Amino acid sequence: MSAHAITRRSWFEADARTRIHGLVDAGSFSELCGPHERLTSPHLAVLDLPVAFDDGVVVGEATLDGERILVGAQQGEFNGGSVGEIHGAKLRGLLDRARDTRPAAVLLAIDSGGVRLHEANAGLIAISELMRALLGARAAGVPVYGLIGGSCGAFGGMGIVARLCDGLIMSEEGRLGLSGPEVIETVKGVDEFDSKDRALVWRITGGKIRRTLGEATLLVDDDLGAFRGGAKALLARGAPLRGLAALDADQAALAARAQRHADARDGLDIWRALGLPDAERLAMLDADAFNRIIDRAETA
Amino acid sequence: MNAPWNRRAARHAQRLARVAHLAAGREIAAGKLIDVLEAVIEPGDRVCLEGNNQKQADFLAESLAECSPERLHDLHMVQSVLALPSHIDVFERGIASRLDFSFAGPQATRLAKLVQARRIDIGAIHTYLELFGRYFVDLTPDVCLIAAQAADADGNLYLGPNTEDTPAIVEATAFSHGIVIAQVNERVERLPRVDIPADWSDLFVVAPRPNHIEPLFTRDPALITDIQVLMAMMAIKGIYAEYGVQRLNHGIGFDTAAIELLLPTYAESLGLRGRICKHWALNPHPTLIPAIEAGFVESVHSFGSEVGMENYVAARSDVFFTGRDGSMRSNRAFCQTAGLYACDMFIGSTLQIDLAGNSSTATLGRIAGFGGAPNMGSDARGRRHASPAWLRAGRERAGDGPLTHGRKLVVQTVETFREHMAPAFVEQLDAWQLMEDMGMELPPIMIHGDDVSHIVTEEGIANLLLCRSAAEREQAIRGVAGYTPVGRARDARMVENLRDRGVIRRPDDIGINTRDATRDLLAARNIKDLVRASGGLYDPPRRFRNW
Repeated sequence: MSAHAITRRSWFEADARTRIHGLVDAGSFSELCGPHERLTSPHLAVLDLPVAFDDGVVVGEATLDGERILVGAQQGEFNGGSVGEIHGAKLRGLLDRARDTRPAAVLLAIDSGGVRLHEANAGLIAISELMRALLGARAAGVPVYGLIGGSCGAFGGMGIVARLCDGLIMSEEGRLGLSGPEVIETVKGVDEFDSKDRALVWRITGGKIRRTLGEATLLVDDDLGAFRGGAKALLARGAPLRGLAALDADQAALAARAQRHADARDGLDIWRALGLPDAERLAMLDADAFNRIIDRAETA
Repeated sequence: MNAPWNRRAARHAQRLARVAHLAAGREIAAGKLIDVLEAVIEPGDRVCLEGNNQKQADFLAESLAECSPERLHDLHMVQSVLALPSHIDVFERGIASRLDFSFAGPQATRLAKLVQARRIDIGAIHTYLELFGRYFVDLTPDVCLIAAQAADADGNLYLGPNTEDTPAIVEATAFSHGIVIAQVNERVERLPRVDIPADWSDLFVVAPRPNHIEPLFTRDPALITDIQVLMAMMAIKGIYAEYGVQRLNHGIGFDTAAIELLLPTYAESLGLRGRICKHWALNPHPTLIPAIEAGFVESVHSFGSEVGMENYVAARSDVFFTGRDGSMRSNRAFCQTAGLYACDMFIGSTLQIDLAGNSSTATLGRIAGFGGAPNMGSDARGRRHASPAWLRAGRERAGDGPLTHGRKLVVQTVETFREHMAPAFVEQLDAWQLMEDMGMELPPIMIHGDDVSHIVTEEGIANLLLCRSAAEREQAIRGVAGYTPVGRARDARMVENLRDRGVIRRPDDIGINTRDATRDLLAARNIKDLVRASGGLYDPPRRFRNW
């Protein structure tokens, strides 16, 4: 009965393993360092806090449309998907394996507020090792793609990791940033950023504004199949290494963007400045309709 | 011989004469309102202050609370809901001393403190229909203070979508020669429609800000759990489908919101469109939008409106009751009557259920009252017309005996444990302790056990109609009470026997695989999905948006 009653399966609400299974070819996923190995955080144990047998991240091998890939997915519900020593080591190992075995791509389903604060320096070191390993995989010619659509978004160190990827797939529910809204409010005050204003938070960090600004390569609907479709599209597109000239051009474009939107206080300001039609209505559009508008604006 | 028989009419004229110099025709300037109230109301008067479930005559309430206790004292307040701080302030300031009411949700704690300090004399706690009935019998207001959307120069009033209690209050007051004072949001040349004719009301004041309306019936689908989806599947397949429930009322809450959101998906997959849930006595719940759009719903009559649903309701006038002007018309008294006499089922949640099936939302230290749930959630003994659902329930109740009347389905749907692991099933309701603490004559029971027909939990459905003794009833309840102390104290053999007889049914017994019960079945997973389902007509309040 349920098969035809279900129209969509939400990425936002899925856990890490469900996301992986929705992403890759059916039955193709084999997990590395799985829960049976009980690689748990020694730091949380010392603090007498609950641990997870996978330390909040699932990594392994699979195929996508028959092509071998490596895949990792963070479990946002475990300590906000935070990167501790074990968690980070699993992701780093995955990326080192990519460098050594050259799969078609690495897919990282990011759902994390960043470093696990309980693990202090161990967590910071773990995330910096992860960044280095990611660049190592890319240098070896393996493209790395991030997928962001979970409740924790991609913040802190994982926000940086996301931006190190060759491409990002986001849903509008996904959020991307460096300091999270609560952190900014705590440090700079509510006038700087009201983290309780959910609409504002999404207009500044959410998938639609990130797609507008070009930080997200693709915007997809909150649906497992849509993320899978996005991953296939990026895989087909490929990600050849870019030379210094291209990086200089990126840098110049970012500087121009920062100048152009220097006074923007809100994603709406940016949409209006770009002259997009009915800026107030953009938040209501599904991914396809939104993408059409952005594509049109980009080609114009 | 005129005088002794028309004293109320004479008093009405005298009262208005006392304030003639303070008003410009019908209209009172906002700054003069307190002077008017002090002049027109008399100590000891029975005053009906319009406090509804949603719409509040907030400016009139605040102004009454600011009147001088020397001028106004010993008022007897009659009002359905105490929702605003000012509703309690009038007692704390010594302006009013006696209260008859229905519901005090947000002010329940302050009310309980006043009772314990003996600062307030509560006549009785009513259901809505009871209180409205008494407006016309022994609680007729001398003065009523109501809320309307707009007035014209003649004093005609337009009530907007949230009509709620206003017609009942005005009818009782105006036709017993009481004084009717309205606060309005605006004065206009021409009203979209006349809900209260000018000769039923006396004075109006344009309030400095629009009257307060609370979006009480908006439930964000994002907060519905998989367990609630499971219970909704059980209710749909095990009760709605089996009895063919066409006419019904839903309580407020996530349990019933889940049912509404499963109609276009799960119920559709069972082929139930057109067979269940066609006619509703219900506020315009945003979570009903997908079912309406899917063609499940033929009609909805409402107690009040819901903030943000105005344009959607107006655009679906085949389904909702709307005026010639296109906007919604609600009416609490009529909708309560519809729920009592014209519906075959009520389903709602509660906080505690005891071994007899009595349920209560009372918690210690709070006097919350009843509202309308007991009107919906009771078998109407005065009903005479038959329907398949009503007859089938009656037959189950009657057993082998002769069938003289049908039976309403009154369903309680609860998870065995509520927040903070508080068991929903208890040996004794907190209501009994509250009765002791507050010196009440009866425990505040929301739905009486002998009115309840079914209890749905994540463990199963208990059909109390089929129980033949108090002992069976107790075991049927224990048998769906899960791991609560009440559930663990079950007689396992008797419970299995009840299951064999179909008195208790587990998800398996009705062909539901608990693994299918996921949020993916919901027709909308968040508020934005509801807006999309409405074609952009639903305009949710800010607090429910993330865009």
